[in-house]
Amino acid sequence: MEMMTSNIETIPGFTITKSLGIATGSTVRAKHIGKDILAGLKNIVGGELKAYTELLMEARTEAIGRMMMDAGQRGANAVVNVRFATSSVAGGAAELFAYGTAVIVTEG
Amino acid sequence: MFESGDVGEILVYSLILIGIAFGAFFPLAFIYSMLFGGLHQSKMFKRLLARERHVATLVGGDNIHTLSTPISLDKITQSSLVMTNITVGPSWWQLFLGGIKSIFGGNIQSFDKILAYGRSEVVQRLREQAIGEGWDEVINVRVETAMVMNKIKGGQQNKLGTLEFVAYGTGIR
Repeated sequence: MEMMTSNIETIPGFTITKSLGIATGSTVRAKHIGKDILAGLKNIVGGELKAYTELLMEARTEAIGRMMMDAGQRGANAVVNVRFATSSVAGGAAELFAYGTAVIVTEG
Repeated sequence: MFESGDVGEILVYSLILIGIAFGAFFPLAFIYSMLFGGLHQSKMFKRLLARERHVATLVGGDNIHTLSTPISLDKITQSSLVMTNITVGPSWWQLFLGGIKSIFGGNIQSFDKILAYGRSEVVQRLREQAIGEGWDEVINVRVETAMVMNKIKGGQQNKLGTLEFVAYGTGIR
C-alpha cells in the first residue's frame, strides 16, 4: 500500500479516522570536497549550483522516505500537513528534516 | 639519469609555475566575474521569463496557488506532495560588492538580483514539475529559504553565500 502525503490538513477525498502522532524523518548530508571546489568555480559568475541542488534534493527525498517509514511503523496509511526544515550542522553539512502527522484515512 | 641537482631544479621550477598559475588564476577569475557575471545572470533571467510565459499560455493562467482548497477543480481523485529546490550563489563580484556594502549597511542590490532569480526559478520549476507529473493544480504552495553549506568553523560563516530555496505543495487531479 502506498503512503499518501500532503501538506494540507487532509487528504482530499478521504476522511481521517485516527491520528497516530508525529512522524519524523531526518538526514544529515555533507558535501563532497570535489563538488565543493567545482561549485566554488561555478560561483565565479553566480547562478545555480547544480551539484548542491541535486545533493539536497536527494537528501530531502531520503528524509521523506524515513518519515514515511516512521509513519508506516505506526500503522498509518497517510501523512498530512508535511513540513520541511533545513539547518546547518557542523562545517559544511546540512540537516534536512521532514515531519508531518501520521494518520489513518478511509475513503469517503 | 638525472643528477640529484637536476631533480631539485625541476622541483623548484614546477613549484614556481604552480605558484604563478594560482596567483594569476584568482585575479583573472575575479575580473571575469566582474565582466561576465552580470551578462550570465541576465541570460538566466531571460530564459526564465520565456519559460514562465510558455507555462502561462499552456495552462491559461497559473496552476499553483497558496490556498488550501482547490480553485478550478471540482472533484479530486488523487493527491500527493510535490516539491522542487534550487541552490543559488552570488558571483564573486557580487559577493565582493556585498561585502563592501555591508560595512555601510543598506540595501544590497547585488544580492537582491540573485535571490529574486532563485525564488522565481524554484516556483517555475514547481509549475513545470506539476505539468510533468500530470497534476492539474498544486495547492497550499510554500516557499522556504535556507542557508546551506555554512562554514561554522573559523568564524567565516557561509563564505560562498549559497542559499537553497524549496517550494512544495500538494498536487491534485
